[in-house]
Amino acid sequence: MNPLELTLGIMTAVGGFVDISQLVFSGQAGSMFGYSLISAFAISTIGIIVYGEMCGRVAAVAHQPLLSLMRHRLGLKLGLGTLLASFLSTLITTAAEIGGLGMILNHLTGAPYLPMCIVSTLVLMASMWVLPFKWIERTYGLLGLCMIVFVAALFAIHPPWDKIAGGFVPHVPRGLSTKELFNFSYFVVAIFSAVMFPYEAFFYSSGGIEEGWKPKDLLTNRVTSIVGMGLGSLLSIAVLALAALLFAPTGVAPQIPGSVALQTAEPFGKLGLILALLGMLFAVAGAAVETCMANAYSVTQFFGWEWGRHKKPWEAPRFTVAWIVVMLLALAIVMTGVEVMNLVGYAVVFSIVVLPLSYLPLMLLANDRSYMREYANKWLAKGLGWIFFVIVSVAAIAAIPLYVITSGGQA
Amino acid sequence: MLRRPLLLFLLLAGCSKGPEADLSYISGARSLAAEWALVNEQASQGHLTDAYVRTMRKAVRQQLQTNATSLSDPNTAYAQEIAALLREPDDARPAELRAHASKLKQIEDSLESS
Repeated sequence: MNPLELTLGIMTAVGGFVDISQLVFSGQAGSMFGYSLISAFAISTIGIIVYGEMCGRVAAVAHQPLLSLMRHRLGLKLGLGTLLASFLSTLITTAAEIGGLGMILNHLTGAPYLPMCIVSTLVLMASMWVLPFKWIERTYGLLGLCMIVFVAALFAIHPPWDKIAGGFVPHVPRGLSTKELFNFSYFVVAIFSAVMFPYEAFFYSSGGIEEGWKPKDLLTNRVTSIVGMGLGSLLSIAVLALAALLFAPTGVAPQIPGSVALQTAEPFGKLGLILALLGMLFAVAGAAVETCMANAYSVTQFFGWEWGRHKKPWEAPRFTVAWIVVMLLALAIVMTGVEVMNLVGYAVVFSIVVLPLSYLPLMLLANDRSYMREYANKWLAKGLGWIFFVIVSVAAIAAIPLYVITSGGQA
Repeated sequence: MLRRPLLLFLLLAGCSKGPEADLSYISGARSLAAEWALVNEQASQGHLTDAYVRTMRKAVRQQLQTNATSLSDPNTAYAQEIAALLREPDDARPAELRAHASKLKQIEDSLESS
């Protein structure tokens, strides 16, 4: 197996795990609750691996993208409702990523924020127009690996590994007040939402079809989803652990995404800071492309239109128009002056609400032997699939009340 | 079925005002003071680039200003503390900034316990 084949999983995961919302949540989670939320990352990572692998398998065997399944399994009305909700949450996420890019470029170069948002949008659109899918995935997936500087920083400051290991065991920290307990619950829900964003599944599933996966590629799919998502999770956990070590003692619960880069400046100085900002820049750029394309995939697949970036832009005109419109709409949201941190909160809450409806049709089809033949879900995938379905359903019900009670984790 | 209780809940949550509603702005300002202190501390050790230091200070100030204007009453002790924080020079000593953060923490704790 060619290691470069892993880039779809890496881009999906880096774009999903270390996008602007995840960077902020990881930093705040570590600062407020130490290592105890590592388990939320670990468990939700298993969830996204389970669903990611399922998406890839369905794409390879049935050649069915997720949104097409949604329409057939949920019916037109419910399917359309889910499409609309997921489109909105993903659009807000794209806007948050563009705002994040503007901020990071502002910190890197000192140039003003809004012009940097416009420049980044234009560069992203140019890359999406020019590069074939394979190269989009490789460019953003591999450049996003600069984020490894956070893992290196964690090793460099000699953290208490026993406490970090203890964080993998699910527990609620002792002595929390009622308010802190609500905040803790909000972070659990937000982490599940941010790790399992539906756009990751839409993108991964469509990416598998773009790459022409067949049943012989099922091993690639399995390895890609495990390695890609595992790597994304590792990066998030490193940011969380660094926040627990460096931010918590000084009372920092990052309010500005750029603060996260301070974590690598501590051990590595200016070089660490620049590498962290570059890593964040590429990871967030990957997430912007991923979310934008996920929305274009969703709309075109749902309505049965021609889609795909393996085709020339003019060979799938509605798909091309869709991603251009999504990118411009996201930029328009940013240009209104809305704060990136607010966008991040809305995106996470919106996403968790549509998660169950996004993953249910996938599970139903992956369980269906008449469709998937010998590749249908076995007991492990089936069992884990239903367990995570229950978890995300409970999280979806709790998300909005928790968001209101905790003012988006800030109360 | 869940629509009515949810609407009632959102309505009640939206009705909270005064110091209780300001708590999130106070804790935000407290963290911003700590972030500013950390930036100035690392800048003094030569760990940060000029562009980063300048833009982070500006972002912190803007966010603090937003928090200050969102408060329900500008005459409270915490509003005055945030205003005092905003009067600090860009290159304020980390210890001074942390002192503001710790005052805001005390106010936050006393509001929560009352």
